[in-house]
Amino acid sequence: MKAACLTVCLVLGAAGLAAQGSVAARLSGRVSPEVVAAVRGMVDAAAARGLPVELLVQKALEGGAKGVPADRVIAAVRALAGELDASAGALHSAGLAAPDGDAIEAGAFALTAGLKEGQVRELARASRTPFGAAATLRVAALLAALGVPAKQTVALVRRTIEAGRAPLDLLDLPDRVESEIARGATPAQAAAGLARAAAHSPVGPPDVPPGRERSRKP
Amino acid sequence: MTREFHPLVKRLLDGELTLGDLPLELRPEGEEALRLLAALDSTPVTLSPLLDARVMATVRRRAGSPATARESFRAGRAWRWISAPRDVEIRLRVRPWAVGALAAAAVLAALVLGRPSAPPARGAIAAFGPTRPSALVRFVLYAPGAHRVAIAGTFNQWNSDATLLAPAGATGVWTTTVTLAPGQHQYAFVVDGERWVPDPAAPAVDDGFGRRNSVVAIAAPGGRAL
Amino acid sequence: MGRAEPASDGAVVRAVLAGDVEQFAVLVRRYRDRYARYAAHMLGSADAAEDAVQDALIRAFDQLRQCREPDRFAGWFFLILRNRCFAERRRGSREARPLEEAQQVATSLDGPDGAVERTERRRALQRALLALTPEQREVFVLKHVEGLPYEEIAQRTGATVASLKMRMHRAYDRLRGELEEHR
Repeated sequence: MKAACLTVCLVLGAAGLAAQGSVAARLSGRVSPEVVAAVRGMVDAAAARGLPVELLVQKALEGGAKGVPADRVIAAVRALAGELDASAGALHSAGLAAPDGDAIEAGAFALTAGLKEGQVRELARASRTPFGAAATLRVAALLAALGVPAKQTVALVRRTIEAGRAPLDLLDLPDRVESEIARGATPAQAAAGLARAAAHSPVGPPDVPPGRERSRKP
Repeated sequence: MTREFHPLVKRLLDGELTLGDLPLELRPEGEEALRLLAALDSTPVTLSPLLDARVMATVRRRAGSPATARESFRAGRAWRWISAPRDVEIRLRVRPWAVGALAAAAVLAALVLGRPSAPPARGAIAAFGPTRPSALVRFVLYAPGAHRVAIAGTFNQWNSDATLLAPAGATGVWTTTVTLAPGQHQYAFVVDGERWVPDPAAPAVDDGFGRRNSVVAIAAPGGRAL
Repeated sequence: MGRAEPASDGAVVRAVLAGDVEQFAVLVRRYRDRYARYAAHMLGSADAAEDAVQDALIRAFDQLRQCREPDRFAGWFFLILRNRCFAERRRGSREARPLEEAQQVATSLDGPDGAVERTERRRALQRALLALTPEQREVFVLKHVEGLPYEEIAQRTGATVASLKMRMHRAYDRLRGELEEHR
């Protein structure tokens, strides 16, 4: 038994060391040794909490490429780790027992784009088959990044889901808002128009409470 | 029936008289009127700190939209605009179905890859490759005076040497086509190896370093993910 | 990518028109909050004010070539925002968080300082303000919230002092009536 435990520990330790080596290998030469050391620690801590870590490594690479001083790169990676943490927390609160890395990253993206934790939680709770939490949050993040105010972003995404729209209609929202902006509407006006359209022409079966599967028609 | 304030009380409200200027019999009405004003909330209203970013995102988009660029070229204003001493760029990120000539180029790319030339799935940006679910995305930058233009982002490990744009015929226009996996990608153009410029035609987010990154999202085939 | 910030609005406007679009951020920073209180009282909601200010700033960029006196950008921008506020009220579609709820106000029993009573009076007045016509509300807000004299209000709005006073006096009476009706 002890030998088995020792073997498992050695394997896990080796995997951890391999992961660390991988982070170091990717960052070496791109950022200063100080940043490499700090990011390795943050990646290790994030992975231990079950958070996806690729974005942390990407942020460090980005900082190095942009010539950002080491302390600011470390601060940005730390801030991003905080957003991943907050996203995971919001998803848990929304009832997702084990949110996958994709959903956590999408939630962090939404926070970066300006949504609040409560709004991430609200959208995660509102997302339901066939709209996954990751897709819902990515669409919301893109809308916010286009300039749609956060509250209107949440309202538009929720109305689209609750109106029983097809998944492509949700995924298409950022493009439609962008088209309206190119025609001279403000982001808020574009979103308001789409929300009104979604509310007045619902398709599909009546609303079902969150957590209950929508019945699928053949 | 609405009881009107006495004209002298209205002058009190206007600040032309004081309470002591009013006849005694009007003072209770005057006090009532002043209580009305005292209830007014003059606290400054502070708007969301994100408002600036939202406005500038739209401003940059307006400055670099294809429609704006086409109109400017016709009017000739763009040439005076771009010939100003300070570098000025019109940046386009072209949807394959949006602009005639470049759309044709994107469709040609799709044909070469063996996909039908039907419009790309909504939510996707461009045609998908034949072997795995990746998408071709065409980036266009109008950068007169630039000697080197690259694009760096999460799809190439932020390596500004990995993906260079090439001059595309029209004066000052640089283009490249990149294969992107489904998901979201952050990126920026790098002009002459040192200037990082976001794409004003794309959504943008704070990069954490005081600048903005552009975002492109690719839907997987079938449209069930972003 | 840093730039020296121009001192005057006129210099910034001219720089933007010459193609330095990023300089518009200077004007956004300067004017984002300056008229926010005016917009909030005109529209009855901080949320609506934020939308209106955002839309007005974008419209100002779109129409910047029509700003004939770049050194007087402030007044020109105010007119754009004013038009936006008037248009919003004409639509009457706003269902936003009321201005008085923008502040976190305790609803406990009234203490000796009468805080709850003051809050109620503030809310009642804000509701009554929304019953005024946009023109009446504007002169009331500009004079009693923004503290402008009639002469400056006249300059900003293009109305005469006499007509402004007439609107204001009607506003006083209407407010009195609204407050009595809902007491």
